[in-house]
Amino acid sequence: MAESISNNNIKPLTQWVNLQQPLSFDAYCQAGGYQGAKVALEHSPNDVLDIVKNSGLKGRGGAGFPTGMKWSFVPMFEDGDENAPDNKYLVANADEMEPGTFKDRLLLEGAPHQLVEAMIIAAYTIGANKGYIFLRGEYHLAAKRLQQAIDEAYQNNWLGEKIQGSSYTMDLYVHCSAGRYICGEETALINALEGKRATPRAKPPFPQVSGLFGKPTIVNNVETLCNLPHILKNGIEWFQAIAPNSDAGSKIYGACGRVKKPGLWELPMGPTLREVLYDYAGGMQEGLQFRGLLPGGASTDFLVEEHLDTPMDFDSIAKVGSRLGTGGLIVLDDKNCPVGMVLNLMRFFAQESCGWCTPCRDGTPWAVEVLNRIEQGQGKIQDLDTLAKLCDFMWIGKTHCALAPGAVEPLRSALKYFHDDFLQHIEHGCCHYNLSMTPKRMKVSQASISPLSVKAGQ
Amino acid sequence: MSEKKVTIFIDDVPYQLSTEDNLLAGVLSKKLNLPYFCWHPSMGSVGACRQCAVTQFQDEADQRGRIVMACITPVTDGMRISIKDKAASEFREQVIAAMMTNHPHDCPVCAEGGECHLQDMTVMTGHSVREYQGTKRTFNNQYLGELVGHEMNRCITCYRCTRFYNDYAGGKDFGVYGSKNQVYFGRQSEGDLESEFSGNLVEVCPTGVFTNKIFSSHYTRKWDLQSAPSVCSHCSVGCNLSIGERYGSVRRVMNRYNGDINGYFICDRGRFGIGFVNGEQRIRQAKGIAQQSPVTLTKLDVAKAFSHFRKKQFIGIGSARASLEANFYLKNMVGAEQFSPGYNDQEMKVAAQHTQLLESIKAPSLADIENSDFIFVIAEDISQTAPRMALSVRQALRNAANDKAAKIGIPSWQDSAVRTIGGKLLSPLFSLQSTTTKLDDVSEKALLLPIEQITKCLATFENLLRLGNVQSINNDKAVEDAIADLVEQDQLSVAEQSFIASIYKGLRKANKPLFISGTSSVCAEILSNIANIMSAFKPQNEIVAPELIIVPPCSNSVGLLSILDEHSLSIEQVLMQLNDPDKSYQGLILLEQELEKLSANQITQLRKSAKTLIVLDHSAHRLSSIADIVLPVAAVTEGDGHYVNYQGRAQQFVQVHAPVVPIQESWRWLDNIGDIVGIKVPKTSTEASGLNPCQSVQVVAKNNDCESLTQLHQFFTDTYAQWPMLIAKKSIEPQQKSIARMSHRASGRTAQMANITVHEAKTTQKLDDDFTFSMEGKSAGQSSDMPFAWAPGWNSNQAIAQFQTEINGQLLKQKEAVFIPISTKITNNLSWRLTENSKESSANNLAANLLTYVHQKHVYFSEWQASLTPEFQMQRQSNQIFINAEAAQQAGVKKGQWCKVIFSATNEKMHLASQSVISQVFIVNHLPFSLAFGNFALCQPLTQLVEMSVSLACDQEVTDYLAHFNDGLIAAKQSKKNILERLKIIDQTIPIRLFSGGLNDG
Repeated sequence: MAESISNNNIKPLTQWVNLQQPLSFDAYCQAGGYQGAKVALEHSPNDVLDIVKNSGLKGRGGAGFPTGMKWSFVPMFEDGDENAPDNKYLVANADEMEPGTFKDRLLLEGAPHQLVEAMIIAAYTIGANKGYIFLRGEYHLAAKRLQQAIDEAYQNNWLGEKIQGSSYTMDLYVHCSAGRYICGEETALINALEGKRATPRAKPPFPQVSGLFGKPTIVNNVETLCNLPHILKNGIEWFQAIAPNSDAGSKIYGACGRVKKPGLWELPMGPTLREVLYDYAGGMQEGLQFRGLLPGGASTDFLVEEHLDTPMDFDSIAKVGSRLGTGGLIVLDDKNCPVGMVLNLMRFFAQESCGWCTPCRDGTPWAVEVLNRIEQGQGKIQDLDTLAKLCDFMWIGKTHCALAPGAVEPLRSALKYFHDDFLQHIEHGCCHYNLSMTPKRMKVSQASISPLSVKAGQ
Repeated sequence: MSEKKVTIFIDDVPYQLSTEDNLLAGVLSKKLNLPYFCWHPSMGSVGACRQCAVTQFQDEADQRGRIVMACITPVTDGMRISIKDKAASEFREQVIAAMMTNHPHDCPVCAEGGECHLQDMTVMTGHSVREYQGTKRTFNNQYLGELVGHEMNRCITCYRCTRFYNDYAGGKDFGVYGSKNQVYFGRQSEGDLESEFSGNLVEVCPTGVFTNKIFSSHYTRKWDLQSAPSVCSHCSVGCNLSIGERYGSVRRVMNRYNGDINGYFICDRGRFGIGFVNGEQRIRQAKGIAQQSPVTLTKLDVAKAFSHFRKKQFIGIGSARASLEANFYLKNMVGAEQFSPGYNDQEMKVAAQHTQLLESIKAPSLADIENSDFIFVIAEDISQTAPRMALSVRQALRNAANDKAAKIGIPSWQDSAVRTIGGKLLSPLFSLQSTTTKLDDVSEKALLLPIEQITKCLATFENLLRLGNVQSINNDKAVEDAIADLVEQDQLSVAEQSFIASIYKGLRKANKPLFISGTSSVCAEILSNIANIMSAFKPQNEIVAPELIIVPPCSNSVGLLSILDEHSLSIEQVLMQLNDPDKSYQGLILLEQELEKLSANQITQLRKSAKTLIVLDHSAHRLSSIADIVLPVAAVTEGDGHYVNYQGRAQQFVQVHAPVVPIQESWRWLDNIGDIVGIKVPKTSTEASGLNPCQSVQVVAKNNDCESLTQLHQFFTDTYAQWPMLIAKKSIEPQQKSIARMSHRASGRTAQMANITVHEAKTTQKLDDDFTFSMEGKSAGQSSDMPFAWAPGWNSNQAIAQFQTEINGQLLKQKEAVFIPISTKITNNLSWRLTENSKESSANNLAANLLTYVHQKHVYFSEWQASLTPEFQMQRQSNQIFINAEAAQQAGVKKGQWCKVIFSATNEKMHLASQSVISQVFIVNHLPFSLAFGNFALCQPLTQLVEMSVSLACDQEVTDYLAHFNDGLIAAKQSKKNILERLKIIDQTIPIRLFSGGLNDG
């Protein structure tokens, strides 16, 4: 992964990444680490908040909410205020389970000290004395390396009592998740951290006001946090200058699927899809043609050829009907069945539904049932109506959290861009991408027994 | 609560709604139909099922609107919503369709059929065509005990069961497992549900996952039940019940909404403890009365049998489980000087203290309890003796979280949000007990002490309060200093001191404090101490005086108290009087009184002394088997009468079904006997004035029978000045049509006896009855006491929303609650006053090296009638004793080991009494050395104070005990089977009674 990082010079997030052997505390400090935290501790929390606010940093977890704004909802108290809660919490959301996304893993395994430093800055700003890294259960290596970094930070007084002689005290813990996709939702994550069922909470109250154990809590994505040391160290102007024409800062983009060079690349915000797909991922593998892609993980809408010149920032991608999400492309080629791909994704979402609200709990398995029949060549033309209805049924506002609307995004866009594939499955009674299947429903001319052409869906 | 009403537009029609509750509650309170599952009026909103979707428009111009869930949407002024809007109604239909992808098609065999909320909601949304073609998920069911059935395949995952069982009722042995569409609600492993409220799952579940096992075993559809409004006969709370019967056997008990008392929930004792009505131990025939006709017992037979008792003097023992009417009648039949409540001396003292407290302080209702912000429970395990009250106490503890949520603008109906904000925050609950209780897990401090030590603590607390009236104790430090000064005199341990200090500190912050105590400990000193504490609250003091509840044991304890006076006899006095050669009593009349506390010796003595022993009861017990005359009495479902709850609230229970003669209400029997034996009535007031009441009564033979409860009340009102007005005179009210006991879908009375006769039987007639034994009559909702809840489109108990002024409000036809006056005349009898001596003697007892053993109360077994239920007997637990860790160490026993426990004591006559019990031993850490408690009772004459020795039991002893114990379980199982077989036979043969009243004239 790290090998494929581009020649681009400004890559603050990944500059210290070493997957073989992450920098030790001393090496990290020598390289310029913990300077951002030092700057932060020299300022008042309010000043740091202003810096983060003005930097224009947006959340890298998928929603793109301005980080400083999120923090500003945390109630701040004077010393000795009777209403002050006994604690506040900072949580790093490292439960990276979005299919096709592996950017946080790079940062967690390659530069654990960077996250520790970032969490000190964030926790200091919001006045939290306890931080948790909610880590995806399968990230064993990351858990080990993070714990090592935390231990080193304790030894060097970057964690614990009175950090670096300041009056600020902070404890940091790694919490290994038991493994549910829904834990990526911040309130479900908090419930899981409390030892409860990982079900998203009702909002309000928002975690900023009443989060972990009922106390003010901020949950930030790993990549978001990792920007902080650099912003503090290098200043707002520097950060905004990284990507002058787009959202501030740099971002880790990735690609997977049948591209020549799947991987991760830290780029200034806003490269076009085409750049990432062809310049960095090297384009499609030999003999395959591009059909479409999910721009930011499994829960985003398909984009196709016509969208390839869209810059990958939050607003531009939204304008063409999808979401930037995590910035990890999942690329679909012309030898794989779009129906099968959507079915596979839908299975994932049905499996990962927390089971709280009806549309998601019972709607996603229903969609799986219908898609499965279509894929098996047993679909009916009415099934397309059922799918359309289910897309509406699980849409935003009708569900308890964003999981089901996210699950619907690839389906509804597939119905739009790959409609002919669906029709062909139903009419021919088979999946033509699956060479072992034969048409059942009707006589099909030899010519049509082949996958649809690249442009067929458009 | 400041109620604010605003105008909102629902489908362009303006409505006035309260802003206190959510939109769904508002819509339902306007009697509009909007389906829902996860919301519950008393448990609030969580937004899980997404069924109550409506379209909300921004303004008049907005045509598109957006879908919102009504249950999590607050009501705001001028808001415009649409229920009919196509998008919303299609979405609601789709939600049902999605639930139906897994719901099985087993409605014909489902106990919920015909009253299924899911069925109702499905019809309401219009979902009728199935599009889903896949398979359904399946689950294994669990054995959850003898009371609640489990059929998980029917689950629609609304989460109501766990929200009730765990969140609302504090259950620990139930939960949610799994995820996605494989969410499982049940126990971690099979076993009896431990909560006292498990039966509510049956009503809380919108479909048939949790069913009433007892009802299912002898099943009938809801619409074929004949129901009447009743009152629970198992504790003093007085929960309102709807009891259903068919073919003369009681089938089930459901909650009957009463906003002041039980609301939507009752305890398992109330729901399942009704088994005694159908039980094998029922007395169904009179004993000791020669019957002329082979067919039936007549009034003439009774008259003949009693003719030689004409104007003879009896002693009457009333009871706290008999109706107010029966007790009052008995007292006036035998005369005040010969009436006993069946209490022993100690209990009489308690009763005297209790009447004083009842007279001076009005006890709050359960609804009021839920508004309290500080609760102190003293020497009464309400979680077992008055479980429904404990449930209300649990809700009161959430007020701290509600207040915290309100501060950030979250209303209390946002259930999950409030729980998030509140976390573990609870309003303070203090518990001073002799046994552990099920409320300990939510109490801020729980202290276990022997009863004598509790009285000491209370006395110290009173002194602290009085000190607070003189000098200002306005900070925590001052409280501790004051306590330190006081304890020097009172010798209290550090734990006791800090407990008292915490209560004082807590009280200082409380705005609506509440003290709850009871009479379980049979300790008059406690009540006297509480009375002193209550008097120590001065209006000028910064501490708000708490409200007070005293929990007596039985459904009509307070009713019985209300008719006691200075002449009332204790059971010891009864025995003395019977043996007094100067007084020639004809005998003893026992009114629904099993005299549970008497030892075998005392029973023999009683039998010997009483020339004639007349027992009126519904179930056999020690005394009925040795009585000369036994009269079979109607159980609560078979007759009319009143119970008076712990507050003094008189509530009528209505006959559900006519019993087979000669079973009739106690008061009818007394009325029959009264004709012959004679009753005592006051002389006319002018004659009586100034005279001693003894001389102001005369014995008359009562000539006319009272044919109905109304007539009886009329007779009482006309004859006795002290009888409270409970039933208005019928003639004053315009003749109103009665309310039907059956639903109008009942399967036709023509078919009811078709296997016996094809002629249509006439429905049973009853004089002055507000309810008909028929499906004809006014619908249930027209009554203040609804026989059952049903409204068009709402077949389940959730129909209640259609009959409330607003959600959780009063019923539309609510009638004023009646509180009866409590006389404190009993305190005029000096024998029942507390003396300094009695206090000292208790102190002496403590000084002797004795241990206090307390029989821990249990919801199933601490009330006699309910304990007869075979299903309860089947869930009985083997002996357990709880001792202090040090004591366990001395005895060399460990937790869970089987031990032989020997209790011994010397009574006043120096007889050594001892009892050996095989029991499992458990260790409670904070238990004082001088206190032990267990789930078994000590035999008389062993009292609370005993010497105890614990040693490991040998294998043979344990095996013998367990064999014996298992025999009991098997017997209970057999009894259950026998009852069921008998009932199923009766279903085929029971004749319809044309007239429901007393015996025929003959």
